[in-house]
Amino acid sequence: MKMEADLIAGFKEKTNKMLGFYTEDAKLSKSYIAVAFIALLVGGFLGLLQGLNRAGLLELPTWFNYYQVLTAHGLLLILVLTAFFTIGYFYAALSHNLGGLLPKVRKLAWIGFYVKLVGFVLAVIPILMNEASVMYTFYPPMAAHPVFYIGLALIVVGVWLCCIGAFIQVANWRKNHKGQHVPILSYFATGVFVLLFFALMFVAVEVLFMIIPWVFGWVDTINVMVARTLFWAFGHTLVNIWYLTAVSAWYVVVPKIIGGKRWSDLLTRVVVIALVIMNITGGFHHQIIDPGINAVVKFMHVFMSLAIGFPSLMTAFALFAVFERTARRKGGKGLIGWWKKMPWGDVRFLAPFIAMLSFIPAGAGGIAQSTNQLDQVVHNTMWIVGHFHLTLGMSVVMTFFGISYWLVPFISNRVLTPQINRLGVIQTWIWTIGMICMSGAMHYVGLLGSPRRTSYTTYGDHATALGWDPYLMLLAVGGTLLIVGVILQVYAVFNMMFFAPKGETEFPIAEEEDNATKTPYLTERWGIWIVVMLIVVAMAYVIPLTEFIVNAPPGSPPFKTW
Amino acid sequence: MNQSFYGLLLWIFLVAPPVANFMESVMVIHMHMQMPMLVIAGMLMARFFQKRFSGFFEIWNSNGVPGITLFIVIMVYWMLPRTMDEALTSHLVEGFKFISLPFLAGISLRDSWKKLNSFGKNSIIISFTVLFLGLGWLYIWSPVQLCNNYLVFQQVTLGWGFLTTSIGMVVYLGYNFFIDPSAYE
Ligand code: HEM
Ligand SMILES: [Cu+2]
Repeated sequence: MKMEADLIAGFKEKTNKMLGFYTEDAKLSKSYIAVAFIALLVGGFLGLLQGLNRAGLLELPTWFNYYQVLTAHGLLLILVLTAFFTIGYFYAALSHNLGGLLPKVRKLAWIGFYVKLVGFVLAVIPILMNEASVMYTFYPPMAAHPVFYIGLALIVVGVWLCCIGAFIQVANWRKNHKGQHVPILSYFATGVFVLLFFALMFVAVEVLFMIIPWVFGWVDTINVMVARTLFWAFGHTLVNIWYLTAVSAWYVVVPKIIGGKRWSDLLTRVVVIALVIMNITGGFHHQIIDPGINAVVKFMHVFMSLAIGFPSLMTAFALFAVFERTARRKGGKGLIGWWKKMPWGDVRFLAPFIAMLSFIPAGAGGIAQSTNQLDQVVHNTMWIVGHFHLTLGMSVVMTFFGISYWLVPFISNRVLTPQINRLGVIQTWIWTIGMICMSGAMHYVGLLGSPRRTSYTTYGDHATALGWDPYLMLLAVGGTLLIVGVILQVYAVFNMMFFAPKGETEFPIAEEEDNATKTPYLTERWGIWIVVMLIVVAMAYVIPLTEFIVNAPPGSPPFKTW
Repeated sequence: MNQSFYGLLLWIFLVAPPVANFMESVMVIHMHMQMPMLVIAGMLMARFFQKRFSGFFEIWNSNGVPGITLFIVIMVYWMLPRTMDEALTSHLVEGFKFISLPFLAGISLRDSWKKLNSFGKNSIIISFTVLFLGLGWLYIWSPVQLCNNYLVFQQVTLGWGFLTTSIGMVVYLGYNFFIDPSAYE
């Protein structure tokens, strides 16, 4: 009896290996994904509270005020959801592509997991105690309780461990597969972890060497401009890490789901390299209105951030070409007719597709904001909040949702049932409508002057502020729809993780086109690309940082502004 | 042919007075963007000359050493504060900059680099790293203004430009030293 059971188990293990499924690695990804979606649930409810407050429908109690909620909402969704999802997803890809994670890599990722969780708990405690209402950007001279920063530092260390694990995994595979290209999804993962690794250095310097000595009182003052610059070198890169993660699914997974082939392997890898090299320097577009940077340098930085538009446009072109080719192969006709051949009823396609569409207005808004004169109008207004709910809340997050409908069944050894698929399609439309309402209202009311990061006020019944109310009401309506979307999505994820019928799900990776040209090996030489990246970073940062440090104004003592 | 044409376009762009004036207005952009881009323009154009005058390069630069020597001489010349100053005050010297960097340094670098063995390549990179560290040190801690045309502050910025570039080169050397590509390729 026992032997037979062993035999069956062994057989099962073998088929799993053939499918590129490794039980231990799946458990790791499952834990990461579970945390990500719990963060979505909690963060979503906090978002709803904010939306209702902004519309004047809800007054938050003094023991849990608007700015505490906002700080937690930002951290949960910007840091926890995205970081945990990205790591869970790419570790699943590394495991599947590269023949399973090495035991030491898996261990690193687990240590990283717990270090991040401890860090996160440490960061949340002072927020709940109203000792850290500094928002996710924690700009000095606002100073939170020291424990908050220690928590952030631990999160950084946790993510670093995952980066190092990924590097070890990829290096090991390459040693055993000389001269081969790293499989495409793992290639994206490499790019993402390289970016994360270097971007985190900037916040690490900010938090460890500037803020922590300052909040503990070891030094009296802090150089505010340097701190902001280091923050955005990281923050902006983080934004593009999400984008690169979403793009990986667009290039590699979506074509497979619609039954097509992947776009040029070479150009895909070029997009990854271009984003890695040019990314960090884009950080300055968050400081267009900051003082202390002269116009010439700002101009150079606008150029550098618009340069990122180039790989984005390549992406847009590539994807629509893939869609059209696939649809025509299936018999789609005419200029518009081929649209009918797309699998609109499949959430694994629909969600990322709408995500891609939303990137068109989102990207256009971003270009507008990069323009100095236009940014003067929208800086620090609700427009900006509308912008990143469109980019992050729609383009990125909806892609993550779309991924979850095959990734969660894959790592759980279960299947996507038609019921859950239907639920997903409904969820996708609710999210789309909700986000259009909310983000549209935010954009418009921002143009009318409504500030971001400000709880509800009528400024003594000032006429201008009263004029915002209808839009803020629409914002709240959108937010309410979104929370329905959040609940459906989180339900779907945990259903697929624990309750869906057992079975095998494929990890969808599209093949290359038949007549593809050979990709040159240069794309694998990360050493070169990293050096080029460092030089580009030096080009962008040496001038302003020297200025800030050599001609520094008097520094600032810590302030508790709340 | 194609890349030579793009090199020519890049060169024309860099020489165009508004672009040149802008780049020369900031010391670190002058030395660390304009000058390297002139060299890159020359490297792109090199294809054309290599095809056109292949015999010449074969006779005079068969092992790459003469070419790389010319490259080093030109580069070191343009790293002196004095010469930068003069490029801003005298049109003749500015003209020499626009000619010498692409056509003497850029072309000879392209023609020589592949001909050098790895010992040669590494020694070149190491010497430039050391040179950059030295110049970074000089520009940051020099108590006096070294260029008439640029303020001390601009000089300090340039110094940091040198230091960060040399850090980039150290990373590259470390990568080359510790990582054996044949284990992966
Ligand atoms: C239920 C869905 C959501 C609702 C109702 C919602 C609503 C809001 C509102 C009203 C604000 C505050 C505006 C202000 O006063 O400045 C806000 C801020 C923010 N939201 Fe959301 N949001 C939702 C989902 C998301 C998602 C999915 C993400 C990202 C993944 C996200 C990221 C952010 C960030 C980063 C901020 C800025 C925090 C800050 O300014 O410090 N939100 N959200
Ligand atoms: Cu940005």
